[in-house]
Amino acid sequence: MHLTKPHYRIGAAAALVLLAWLTLFSVRETEFALITQFGRPVGTVTDAGLHAKWFFQSATYFDRRLRVYDPRPSEFLTRDKKNLVIESYVAWRIRDPQHFVETVGDPVSAEMRLHDIVWSGLSAVLGTHDLDAIVAPNPASVQADSFLDQLTAVTGAASLAQYGIEIVDVRIKRLNLPEQNKQSVYARMRAERERIARQYRAEGEEQALRIRADADRQRDEILSAAYKDAEKTRGEGDAASTRIYSQAYSRNPKFYKLVRTLESYKKILDDKTTAILSSDSELLKVFMKGEGGVQ
Amino acid sequence: MSTIPAVDHHHDHGHDRHHDHEHHHDHEHDHHHHDHPVKAAPVQAGGSRRNRIALAVAGLWLVSGVYIVPADQQAVVTRFGQVIEPRVFPGIHVALPWPMDRVTKLKVQQLQRLVVGGYLPDSVLGRTQPLASQFLTGDQNIINLRAVVQYSVGMPADYLFHAQDVSRTVAAAVETEMSRRIGRRTVDAVLTTEKTAIQEEVRAAAQKLIDAYGAGVRIASINIESMTPPPEAAEAFRDVASARADAARIYNEALGYESDLVPKARGEARQMTEAATAYKESKINEATGDASRFDLVESEYAHATAVNGRRLYLETLEQVLPKIKKLVVDKNGSFDLTIIRKNSDSAPPRKNP
Repeated sequence: MHLTKPHYRIGAAAALVLLAWLTLFSVRETEFALITQFGRPVGTVTDAGLHAKWFFQSATYFDRRLRVYDPRPSEFLTRDKKNLVIESYVAWRIRDPQHFVETVGDPVSAEMRLHDIVWSGLSAVLGTHDLDAIVAPNPASVQADSFLDQLTAVTGAASLAQYGIEIVDVRIKRLNLPEQNKQSVYARMRAERERIARQYRAEGEEQALRIRADADRQRDEILSAAYKDAEKTRGEGDAASTRIYSQAYSRNPKFYKLVRTLESYKKILDDKTTAILSSDSELLKVFMKGEGGVQ
Repeated sequence: MSTIPAVDHHHDHGHDRHHDHEHHHDHEHDHHHHDHPVKAAPVQAGGSRRNRIALAVAGLWLVSGVYIVPADQQAVVTRFGQVIEPRVFPGIHVALPWPMDRVTKLKVQQLQRLVVGGYLPDSVLGRTQPLASQFLTGDQNIINLRAVVQYSVGMPADYLFHAQDVSRTVAAAVETEMSRRIGRRTVDAVLTTEKTAIQEEVRAAAQKLIDAYGAGVRIASINIESMTPPPEAAEAFRDVASARADAARIYNEALGYESDLVPKARGEARQMTEAATAYKESKINEATGDASRFDLVESEYAHATAVNGRRLYLETLEQVLPKIKKLVVDKNGSFDLTIIRKNSDSAPPRKNP
């Protein structure tokens, strides 16, 4: 008893462990399990958690997570015969492990298939669109979103049916122009910039000239208006003074004549003047004749 | 142990997919399962040393199901691979011990960086990869662009289990949205005014795309670090910038000319009108003064016309005559005009009558 009981217990435990090891398996969130029986697929487990199978069956695991595959950048021709280098990416995941393992087998060959599907899809769709449906300064003319959605749907249906692969998304990651076209593109860019630079400078010149001309005009207007006002004011002064003089002087024109004439003498007669005075003039009569000269 | 973000397997059963499930299969959700290892041990009279060791081991095993989520982390609990707790917040928690439950902790707030348009080391060293950074604008200009994306864990369970390569998925989504936004704008808009708008649009659109992929990532920011024309055309782009500056300079110079000229003209105009007003006032004042003087003198004159007339006459002569040369000739005598020239330099001789 003392010897057999532990042996029996250990043997039973070992048998249970072995049985569990052969029949129970866990499936993680990130994977599918494909159950094969002597190499032949008999079922797929898509739910994560603990599952049981027969001991003669075996489970193979497939990563069900989303993968991003970048096909090599390829050159495509648009409908208007423009070359475009497109880098795309395909977001995909295994959807039907049994179909996948039967047709493709592993992710590397899956990506080769995806490359072919997407490449032919893209070249077909780009061949029916002009370049400005893909890149254009005006977003309204760009149709890339809708035809990529279509492409995703079409290629997705095909790859699911053929390979058990779900194509979640096909997108254009990068657009570029072919290397051999680049030099002419750069030349075009330079020419465009030169034109824009000239335009900026000319527009600056235009505005500046306009401002200067406007300033000159303002100056001329201000000065001529001031001249007009000034002359008018001067005229008013002259008129007023004339009126004042005439009012004053017309009260006694004879006296004015006398005073004004005498004033004039003071101005007219200077040291260059020689006066020839007659001896019987009013001034000299007294001088010549004494008191008798006074009338 | 801590990578970015640190993934810390509390009960790591490695890649072993087959577990002994002898005692626990039927009691996954049963909190009394801990009775089983005790029952499985041989029940003998209380003091057996082997029993006590077995109990201690079983107790330790159970206690190993307790785990702590630090403040900066969140955890995901899976049971036999299936998510049972998609998001466990910081604190102390209990899970079933190995090999049933597995706790994965994530530093959810830690920002991760990736570079679009080149590689992260290039960005650190300031290098650009010509091809990796080229984008095509809507008007078919090529520009070089490098943007840094910062993201963190949004939904821990999605982050862990939905995408095979999260950073690659994020990079692809950001890059596609970036080239989409740039491909719908002109090069001028991209290089000058639209940078912020592009960053924000790309962030929102890439977030939407990543949500559609269920990658469990939250994009914190997209920052366009450099956006330049290709070196082959850089000079021409710089010239446009300097042309813009030139235009602004010429414009400002003209404004300067205007602000110099017009006020000066206004000043000059004021001067002219003031001078005219002064002229007018002085003219009127002079006239008024003269008139007043005339009035006063005239009223005095009127009292004695003859005397005052003579006086005024003589006063004037007194003022005038001293300055001038005088020749007095007899009324009846003849007069030799040569005398004027002869005596022009000296004081005129008085001819005797």
